[in-house]
Amino acid sequence: MNAAKTKSSPARRLADILIWLFLIGACALVLIPLVFMFTSSVMPAIDIMKLPYPWISDHIHWQNFWNGLRGPEGTFIFLRNILNSLVVALSVTATTVLLSSMSGYGLAKFQFKGRNTVFMLIMATMMIPFEAIMIPLYMVVMRMRLQDSYAGLIVPFLTSAFGVFLMRQFLLTFPDEVLDAARIDGASEPAIFTHVVLPNVGPAIATLAVLTFRSQWDSLLWPLLVVQSEEMKTIPLYITKFMAETHSDEGIMMAIAAMASLPMFILFLTMSKYFISREGLYSTTKG
Amino acid sequence: MRQNKRFSMEQKKARWGWTFVAPSLVFFLVFSFYPIFNAFYMSFFKKNLLSLKPPVFVGLGNYSYLFKSSLFWQSAANTAIFTVGAFVPLLVLSLVLAALIMSRRRFQKLIQMILYSPAALSSVVAALIWLLIFDPRGLANQGLNTLFRTSGVNYHWLSSTGMLRLSTIIVYVWKYVGYFTVVFVAGIGAIPHSLHEAALIDGADRWKDFWHITFPLLKPTTLLVSVMAMIQCLKTFSTQYLFSKAGAPTRPIDVITLNIYNTAIKDHNIGRASAMSILLFLVMLFLTWLQFRISKTEEVSYM
Repeated sequence: MNAAKTKSSPARRLADILIWLFLIGACALVLIPLVFMFTSSVMPAIDIMKLPYPWISDHIHWQNFWNGLRGPEGTFIFLRNILNSLVVALSVTATTVLLSSMSGYGLAKFQFKGRNTVFMLIMATMMIPFEAIMIPLYMVVMRMRLQDSYAGLIVPFLTSAFGVFLMRQFLLTFPDEVLDAARIDGASEPAIFTHVVLPNVGPAIATLAVLTFRSQWDSLLWPLLVVQSEEMKTIPLYITKFMAETHSDEGIMMAIAAMASLPMFILFLTMSKYFISREGLYSTTKG
Repeated sequence: MRQNKRFSMEQKKARWGWTFVAPSLVFFLVFSFYPIFNAFYMSFFKKNLLSLKPPVFVGLGNYSYLFKSSLFWQSAANTAIFTVGAFVPLLVLSLVLAALIMSRRRFQKLIQMILYSPAALSSVVAALIWLLIFDPRGLANQGLNTLFRTSGVNYHWLSSTGMLRLSTIIVYVWKYVGYFTVVFVAGIGAIPHSLHEAALIDGADRWKDFWHITFPLLKPTTLLVSVMAMIQCLKTFSTQYLFSKAGAPTRPIDVITLNIYNTAIKDHNIGRASAMSILLFLVMLFLTWLQFRISKTEEVSYM
């Protein structure tokens, strides 16, 4: 470190300035579309298409948010669609966390015949991309008469192989003595799981929950197949429909986009360490 | 007696093990293994999505149709162009950004957060924002006109074949460059400081240190990121779907997932869609196998 410091020369200082300029430039380029979304969400459509783009509007046009919520027909269907997205994403997150940690616990802490085979089978499903099985899955869901329902949106994602893997790895290091002590105290196996194991795997559960919620909130392809009615649409489907309608107001469009992204931004800002965790980065989630 | 009790205890534990694993196992049998075998099976049949008629066996008919269909090759080419076009800049940019971030002593976390933030956005919202930016009167044309000191030149972001493909690639690179930067930062952070210090004591400058120490030791991370990015790019759907819905010409951005979706849902041709799914699956299987092999050797030893 000292050797480097003493070599500080004008050339080095120039390099430093250039590196900072590059990094600041990259950050600016990445942020411009986001800033554009937020600024134009409070502009009348005429201002957005002005040349050059007025980054700051004379007056804040909050009506966009109201009109976005109201919808072109005044039915407030967008509120229902937000609710659908929340119901689906939260249900999938809850079942994925529960089932994955159950299976991860079973695979990590119990000896039984065929355990390795089961683990390999579950891991093998990570190699099956959702895009390749969506049509047969759709036909399964049709046969079960679940199309256009919450169940149809939720059931194919009840658990995830990545989740099982994550929880198993995390639980491998869980001390056996703690489990045995609870057994000697007479606790039943389900009670040990809910009262001893689950409260102690918080970080792994948070990572899995954040990633699952994110991928469901983002999901477009599966709802596109399953949903038919306006009432069952999720946010991505609502946005798709709104956008395909010609002469949609650009300001309202961006207000809807901002409202749709708000939950994710809040989640990202408060839980960023779970997004940017090593486990989170190597996930390959369905959808 | 004691032996017996212990034996039954083990048995009881084994039963509980199965109980905990069973729900997920059943789920994967029904919702992963059955569909992929079904897709494989259906790829040898002719079947209409809506008709109640039983599927008709056509052997390799669907595959031979696809290999002769120019539309299929077009979407295979579109997918390949998109994948290569997105993953090369993603890889280079994220590696450079990560190296530069790690060379700074301040704001490392903040810069990573900013670069990562588009990944928190849903892909539909991302496509929506960029549709307005690529509008003839939008920011993209304004930006280039300012840069090149021209006025009123329209670059046809959403109408000419090449520009349309470039537009989808830009959206993708914008959304994921931060994600891969963070992966590289983790990789660079895992290299022990002692190695850099040794290099600096030996008189290496920062450039030499990067080129001879950081870069070779990052090779496993680089390979891993390449395969991950490629798999992600092959699965791209939302941007292309939304752009074509918004009125952009479909042919240049008709990627394989979009083709599968349209073949099944618009043309009701389950057999052909299944055959395409299986081909996509095989390509991804190969890449995933590569990824697993690389992650196994990823734990580099620094000794």
